[in-house]
Amino acid sequence: MTIRHHPNDATLAAFAAGAMDEGRRLVVATHLDICPACRQAARAFEAVGGVALHDEAAALPLSADARKRALDSIEQDLASGQDLPAEKPAVAQAARQSALSAYPLGAWRWIGPGIYWRPVDLASPDTRVFMLKAAPGTALPDHSHTGIEWTAVLQGAFRHDHGRYGAGDFDEADESVEHNPRVEDGVECICLVAMQGQIRFKSLIGRLLQPFVRI
Amino acid sequence: MQRDELEDPVSLVRAIANDADRQAFAALFDFYAPRIKGVLVRAGTTPELAEEIAQEALLSVWRKAALFDPARASVATWIFTIARNLRIDHARRGRGVSADTIYKVLSGSDPERPDHRLESAQRDAGVRHALDALTSDQVAVVRLSFYEDKPHAEIAETLGLPLGTVKSRLRLAMTKLREQLEDLT
Repeated sequence: MTIRHHPNDATLAAFAAGAMDEGRRLVVATHLDICPACRQAARAFEAVGGVALHDEAAALPLSADARKRALDSIEQDLASGQDLPAEKPAVAQAARQSALSAYPLGAWRWIGPGIYWRPVDLASPDTRVFMLKAAPGTALPDHSHTGIEWTAVLQGAFRHDHGRYGAGDFDEADESVEHNPRVEDGVECICLVAMQGQIRFKSLIGRLLQPFVRI
Repeated sequence: MQRDELEDPVSLVRAIANDADRQAFAALFDFYAPRIKGVLVRAGTTPELAEEIAQEALLSVWRKAALFDPARASVATWIFTIARNLRIDHARRGRGVSADTIYKVLSGSDPERPDHRLESAQRDAGVRHALDALTSDQVAVVRLSFYEDKPHAEIAETLGLPLGTVKSRLRLAMTKLREQLEDLT
């Protein structure tokens, strides 16, 4: 699998900084799960965060008894039988689980010819996240957005004006993008999508679907 | 007490892991807790919550000391990720999926990558060098977006620039930073 399209560096930096809402974080994490190059970049940006913390000029003193309270908590830890200040390293070494598998998924719903939609149940409403599954050869209705639409391709491939997006690729569209993706022949295409704002269909069939789809 | 420099933080974390060393903990607490509070308050967190997160972060340092791997990250970076995850978890108020679950994607080691060549202290020196290579304009957008957690629209307003300019400048700055960092991780 060759990954050609990645999140841009500002997005990877924001992920590393934690400056991203839950929905976008999930879709970026899903790409990172597949992409070693982006994992490496995100770790580098974490190191930038570490240096920023270390060099922080505007450190603020804690209340006078803060350190004593922390030390008291530690003594309590030790007294309660946790004789080693450690969690088991085995926890960290356990096999990595994909971020998506931690979320409850809704049922697949038919939303148009060859197209199925499945919501991902997020705690925060800022960004909607859903999975899309489209049959080979399906043309998705021509549309634009009022907000971002970030897509992690999990299986299959689609094409639009900006290129071909196969498994592992990340399509970072914002409100300036207008596109009509078409699924390649071969296998069905499955994507994880984070979306803000509204999607605007240009075709009549798309507009007819809109109230039903609510995506 | 607030310290200006911290001698050999890796040894301090090891002393906690191996010997439950309270003095080592106190030294890490004095250095990092006020910095965590400072960073969070500048990013818009209330001083009360920032203090709570700083406390919790340092307690996590104590409890997770044995998990710290200096080949993977410096102490500063490790503590940064602990504080980041606590901040996210406070914001979600117990609902949804924990930040640790999401960020686990970055915590494992990648078998496809060669072994780390640099000690964490060298790596942090390299990061400082990389930041020095940015122009002051670039540092300004990086600082606002990355350190202070401001939405792009707010950065545009602060700097008196069009939103598109902020976005492209930010991408350019981050890409340059990444190129400088490429050999360090």
